[in-house]
Amino acid sequence: MGKRVAVRSKGLSKNFGQLEAISSVDLEITEGSIHALVGENGAGKSTFLSMISGRLHPTAGDLLIFGNQVHLASPREGRSAGIVGIYQELSIVPEMTALDNVFLGEIPSFMGAVMSSEMAAKYGELAERLNVNIDPRSKAGRLSVADQQILEIMRAVQFDAKIILLDEPTAALAPAERKALFALMRDLRASGHTLVLVSHNLDEVLDIADAVTVFRNGRLISTQPKKSWTKRSLVKAMLGQNVDDLYKRRAAPMSLSSEPEVLRVSNLTVPGAVQDIELVLRRGEILGLGGLVGSGRTTVLRAIAGAERTAQGDMVLMGNKRQWPRTVREARRAGIGIVPEDRKLQGLFLHMKSGQNIVISDLSTCTTSGVLSVRKLKAAASKAGQKFRLDPKRLDHLVGTLSGGNQQKALLSRWWHHRPNILLIDEPTRGIDIGAKAEILASLREMASDGVAIIMVSSELEELVSIADRVSVVSQGQSVGEIDGDDLSVNAILNRAFQVEELHV
Amino acid sequence: MSDTLHKSTVTIAPKKLHQLGLPILKRYTLAITLVLLVCVSQYLYSGFLTPSNIVNIFAQNAPLGIIAVGMTLVMITGGFDLSVGSVFAIGATLYTSLVVGGMGLLEAFLLTTLVGVAAGSLNGALVTRLDVNPFVATLGTMSVFTGAALIYSNSQPYMTSSASFTLLGRGSLAGLPYSIWILAAFMLAGQLILSLSVYGRQIYAVGGNTEAARLAGLRVAVVRGSTYAICSGCAAVAGMIMASRLDLGQADMGRNMALDSIAVVVIGGTSLSGGRGAVWQTAIGLMLVAVLTNLLDSLAVSANYQLLIKGTIVVAAVALDAISRRHT
Repeated sequence: MGKRVAVRSKGLSKNFGQLEAISSVDLEITEGSIHALVGENGAGKSTFLSMISGRLHPTAGDLLIFGNQVHLASPREGRSAGIVGIYQELSIVPEMTALDNVFLGEIPSFMGAVMSSEMAAKYGELAERLNVNIDPRSKAGRLSVADQQILEIMRAVQFDAKIILLDEPTAALAPAERKALFALMRDLRASGHTLVLVSHNLDEVLDIADAVTVFRNGRLISTQPKKSWTKRSLVKAMLGQNVDDLYKRRAAPMSLSSEPEVLRVSNLTVPGAVQDIELVLRRGEILGLGGLVGSGRTTVLRAIAGAERTAQGDMVLMGNKRQWPRTVREARRAGIGIVPEDRKLQGLFLHMKSGQNIVISDLSTCTTSGVLSVRKLKAAASKAGQKFRLDPKRLDHLVGTLSGGNQQKALLSRWWHHRPNILLIDEPTRGIDIGAKAEILASLREMASDGVAIIMVSSELEELVSIADRVSVVSQGQSVGEIDGDDLSVNAILNRAFQVEELHV
Repeated sequence: MSDTLHKSTVTIAPKKLHQLGLPILKRYTLAITLVLLVCVSQYLYSGFLTPSNIVNIFAQNAPLGIIAVGMTLVMITGGFDLSVGSVFAIGATLYTSLVVGGMGLLEAFLLTTLVGVAAGSLNGALVTRLDVNPFVATLGTMSVFTGAALIYSNSQPYMTSSASFTLLGRGSLAGLPYSIWILAAFMLAGQLILSLSVYGRQIYAVGGNTEAARLAGLRVAVVRGSTYAICSGCAAVAGMIMASRLDLGQADMGRNMALDSIAVVVIGGTSLSGGRGAVWQTAIGLMLVAVLTNLLDSLAVSANYQLLIKGTIVVAAVALDAISRRHT
């Protein structure tokens, strides 16, 4: 008690053209606390965060930082007010060293010359204080996402930021890295920093936050101390309705083991990444690839999809032994499709309409005597979109303007339109709100029962356990076992994943 | 928590040691190539390694090298400046006309430099404030500046035969021409700015990740824009040196300066996509091009073939850069 209010918003609103992203939000965030903002995608929490940091300008309303009214025109002004935002797209400079990245905004200098020794000393102090062990000379681009994130936090702390905003900081982290980040966040709270956290992971939020605010449709629904929330009440507030157990584990039908094998991979090796991977995939099955970030899961997917040029191994596809696919095109012809990890960078044509994004995988069915037919294109797009409950109105919207959930639906619809035998999916629900997540998972299940065999990688092990029929665990680039039936649980996957890790350390 | 963090760094370290040999080799590929080229030149043309020839090579290429210093800064921010040839011509024309008109050498020099910097500031403003693509912006101003120089000079060359005018281009100090001293000074200053100054770090940061730089609170527009001003300033100085060498300033000089200077920077290994590069690399790039030109000249290879050879080398350098990046 008696603590100051670090951030106070009064009637804060933000419009993007016609769209009202945030409408009249009143919120107080207490100094020295961890305050979480939750809500579905498009609920406005990230927009709100960006307004506090000066990245976006409010359309209306007031923002008070430690009681002083501020008008932040840029992140630079946000920083001078003691606020630093750390976003999902990490803002490190990959070509520069860890050291340079930490001091990016404020380089110790004397008459314009960099004082390297002072910089190194400060880095050492900071690393010790935050219990961080990252070589200051290492190139930032070579570090793991977790380490890069820590560099950004170091940058914020070294800048003497009082308020640190974190947008989905754990989305790309493995469980151990999440723990480390949380420990760091608690340390920062103990030293008087105020942390504002946006997260989709409700367990995480309930674990670390002192207070939780729920946004829905650009409005603040409720702010409560953590102890008055439960996961259920949070979900209810976010969706405005009850959702019964989103991750209910489906009992695997026994009939699957008698289904024909569509893919058998053995001795798959990608130099420097994975060795001797083995896996079997049956028709109508969802095979999960479990493991930590960096274990080689994504490489395995990419190799099967023909995207790893140096991949070598034996592939039996639909019962026929064949050469390992060298290009994505080759794999696609053989009936293998891939939904990549980064939908914006590797998946979608952001400046095209979502309908066009869907049908682009196969235009041959949309022609009348060789000429593209607009009518057929639209019909095909809406038919494919239906499968994933993509609102038909969205088909005419530029895909870049859609929420993450709808973008992912468009991408999955593209593959439904193309109808591969095997679909490889990397992190299908990353950064996607809880409602769309459930829909996407249900649609994947449906696709599988329609006969598509699916291999899925996800860092959210709960999700993997809930949807996969079997999970094959990869650790340090090697297959370390398979879990199915009643044995399948988050713990079982983690145990397998860590076993090997421990042996190597 | 220190446990898990520790783990991640421990697994990185051995890899780094293992790969140490290759980057060092890669880093000095260019220097090694230069040494080889020098040996070949000496073998094919015995007059190559004489003091007078070497001084000549540097003096001839000093204007190009000075422009390349500015171009290096621009290109590290991820930019591009096609208008340097026009600013070079403005520098030569304006400087000569001012001196012919009776202005003192120093005043004329300073005023011309200032005009160059102003021209570059226009480029910078177009690129940063109006968000015009650097390629298009400087392609446009290239024409604008040439047009302005032609109008100013009424399409006529300015000529002078005063002895003092030739000082900048042909005078010498301690046995070396002024132009070489100026080149060395620009190279040294450029390298020091990049490696030791705050401004230099900011240039790398802006080029390496613009959004990151913005979020870290850097004045991205000021940093990017200022490199264009510096680059044009360099081009104006280079133009004056050339005018002083030739006793003449003309609005259509420096037609090839933009492409030649970009070639020198790129051959030196500065990345076209920004964030990587250094003036010392550009210096090696300059020497490579200069030595090659000198060799081809002394072997009496026709200018047409020289064009063909140099073009091939530029494309090869960029392709090599792209390939080496793919493998990292």
